[in-house]
Amino acid sequence: MTARRRDILLSLGFAALLALVPLVFSTRYIISQITVFFIWGLVVTQWNLVLGVAGIFSLAQMALFAIGAYGTAMLAYYVGLPLLAAMPVAALVTVAASLLIGFACLRLKGAYVALLTLAIAQVIYLIVVNDTACFTNPPSGCLPLFGGVRGFSRFGDLGFRELLGSKFYIGHYYVGLALLLAAQVFCIVLIRGPLSLAFRALRDNPGYAMSRGVGKLRYQLWVFGLSAFFTGLAGAFYAANFGVVGPIVFSVSMLLFLLAMIVVGGMGTVWGPLLGAALLMAADEGLREVGTFREIGLGLVLAVFVILLPRGIAGLARKTEAGGPASRAGTGRKQVADSSDAI
Amino acid sequence: MEIFVQVLASGLTLGAMYAVSTIGLALVYGALNMLNMAQGALLAFGGYVCFYVMQQLGLPAPVGVLAAMVVGAALGLTIYLLVARPMLASPAFETQIFIATIGIGSVLQSVILQLFGPQPKAQPMTLPGGVSLGGVVVPWQNILILAVAAAMLAGVAWLLGRTRAGLAIRATAQSREAAQLMGIRIGRVYAQVLALSGALAALSGIMVSSLSGLLPTMGADPMLKAFVICVVAGLGNVPGAAIAALLLGILEAVIQYIFGVQYAFAILLALVIGVLIWRPYGLFGKRQVVRL
Amino acid sequence: MSLLEIQGLEAGYGAQAVLRDLSLEIVEGSFAALVGPNGHGKSTALRTVSGLVRARAGLIRLAGERIDRLRPDQIVAAGIVHVPQGDMLFPEMTVLENLRLGAYLPQAATHAANRLEEVFALLPKLAERKHQVACTLSGGERRMVGIGRGLMAGGRILMLDEPSLGLAPIVIDQIYDIVQRLAASGRTILVVEENAMRIAEMADRMHLMDNGRIAWSGPGSEFLSRPEILSAYLGG
Repeated sequence: MTARRRDILLSLGFAALLALVPLVFSTRYIISQITVFFIWGLVVTQWNLVLGVAGIFSLAQMALFAIGAYGTAMLAYYVGLPLLAAMPVAALVTVAASLLIGFACLRLKGAYVALLTLAIAQVIYLIVVNDTACFTNPPSGCLPLFGGVRGFSRFGDLGFRELLGSKFYIGHYYVGLALLLAAQVFCIVLIRGPLSLAFRALRDNPGYAMSRGVGKLRYQLWVFGLSAFFTGLAGAFYAANFGVVGPIVFSVSMLLFLLAMIVVGGMGTVWGPLLGAALLMAADEGLREVGTFREIGLGLVLAVFVILLPRGIAGLARKTEAGGPASRAGTGRKQVADSSDAI
Repeated sequence: MEIFVQVLASGLTLGAMYAVSTIGLALVYGALNMLNMAQGALLAFGGYVCFYVMQQLGLPAPVGVLAAMVVGAALGLTIYLLVARPMLASPAFETQIFIATIGIGSVLQSVILQLFGPQPKAQPMTLPGGVSLGGVVVPWQNILILAVAAAMLAGVAWLLGRTRAGLAIRATAQSREAAQLMGIRIGRVYAQVLALSGALAALSGIMVSSLSGLLPTMGADPMLKAFVICVVAGLGNVPGAAIAALLLGILEAVIQYIFGVQYAFAILLALVIGVLIWRPYGLFGKRQVVRL
Repeated sequence: MSLLEIQGLEAGYGAQAVLRDLSLEIVEGSFAALVGPNGHGKSTALRTVSGLVRARAGLIRLAGERIDRLRPDQIVAAGIVHVPQGDMLFPEMTVLENLRLGAYLPQAATHAANRLEEVFALLPKLAERKHQVACTLSGGERRMVGIGRGLMAGGRILMLDEPSLGLAPIVIDQIYDIVQRLAASGRTILVVEENAMRIAEMADRMHLMDNGRIAWSGPGSEFLSRPEILSAYLGG
């Protein structure tokens, strides 16, 4: 059985197991927390593709998520589009935005991409938050074009309240599960497929790879754009699930949390991101009391894992490839560092 | 005319503040191929240490500044020893150090939050009053910042150009292996560069906070701007970074004046992206070298 | 007297082993050459000696003292001068600055002025282009700067990695003329060279590398008289 088939079967298996959960535990808290896990799982699996497979140093993932969320909310609020339509449209808008960002950034060296995507994310945040001019004036008060500091609320929902009444969250649960399954299968196909080999070739010997027709920019754009679809969809689902979208989606601590999931789980691996997401969310739950030390703890986890366990937990199970101290001369024999090297 | 002086004055001040921390970043990237994402937190730390020394300990400003720079250097050195050095041999060093320093930056910021609380504070290192130039009152504080920044930049230039340690730094940045083959102990170079960068960040933090106050998160925006400046200049280019910092500071002041503060960063960034599309290695950049 | 002694050296990059049980000896004052097909570890051998690559097993001794566990800068201080493949000049620095960096270590710095004169005497083209920035030099000039830089360090053994690489034949002649003069002046020299026949004419001792270990060692004259040695290992 190929690795790909095995992984897809595993995904289906996990999905089946998860599908049974609401039948056993139907408390709202557990179900909605797992739904949140689905949302972040969606984001980290896609971000993992960008960071770990395509080797793109992008910090714009949360911004793309936000575009999906805000896009959905705004389409529903201003245009009156039902959420089921707004979500895929918002996802497509996210793809368009990602391609724009990609064109601007991807031709640059890795470090530049990191900084630029961070800066772009920050600018989007500033535009949303600093716009104080009232675009509309609903009864709840002044509402700037992008929602301002308060954000959007009451823009519709997926219809589960009508169908399931007070158990509407179970409907959201299954939607989230379906989305995550689709996203994970997508990731598996990508990671276990020729595309990831192409990226490995580009990392190991860019000259040769490109002479054989593996165009770095093209592949990177593909991955960037495709992963943006699910990321945008995650944002859209976030909007649909919580019914409110505000600038909190831009928070740096969220970015860190998600990054930590990928690092702890194992960047570039198939199961790493989800593993990391599950672990960190569980830890977050358990450590909820410790409150103020969350940020410190998260930062430490990030740093410690990168230093001591760069392949993450999933990476432990992997056959060691080119590990070990190859040379004392800093970043290997390459003088001009190519930071498309992922972990 | 008045507007011109006003804008020029604030632009140069901004530029000078950015230049000090940008140089540190450029040095670190040039010598180590390392994007130090903890820079913002180091900036904030410097501001707070100065505050603590002056406010809580009641010591005079120069002591505060010195203490902050020493703490900054110590933190930089610690980052080298605990974070950079263990990972130097790894082929994915750039990615890993990037992420690790994001984590460290977050830790440092949280420590500040724990120690000093989330409320904004005023930086006691300020000079009141101003001088009249071209019909506009230019605050002494701005002039002080310009002077300190100029002195610091001159100091770094002297260090890099005229000392043996500076020679080692430049050599390491241009060719790490060749530097080793000359008998340069690059571990020590890295430590020095990170320490220096930490001290410069601290100083920059004092300057920034003297104008806009102290907040645990105060370092994030200046760091981002410093990075953007580095990118525009060409990562690793030290004198280019200083020039680009001044230019961008003035540009930011102009944009702020015309469009208002909210959109300044956005427009600046759009311009930066435009520049990078035109010159993907930055305005002055070729490869990662530290030039002087 | 044996100046450089390598025993059972193993080294490589990542999971790739390149040097497997490499053993060789360089006698003081001799002109030794390391030859063999590309990819079999010649450059890696030099890089392991100078410390850029960490040895995984085996030992390296310089005048009886072990150097294989030292840092590259310590190895240089002990007297190993490595002129690397591809020159590795400091691209933004001038010829003079590059040369001066060769005498970075304090023990070399005291002799810097004298050595600089010697280098300029040996390589007059460099004197002409003292203030030219390294990245604007021609291939041959860069090679000369690399060698000159190595000479500035003094050292006990001079290791040259493919000094003829990428140069026009007439320039190669010039370079090897210089190398021979250095050898004649009594220096211990180890050259890695792809063109085995050419170097066999000059070298005291040849070492043929095959798959990370020494397949044959002997005087250059013997190598020349027995072409079957080389063809056996080139599969020719």
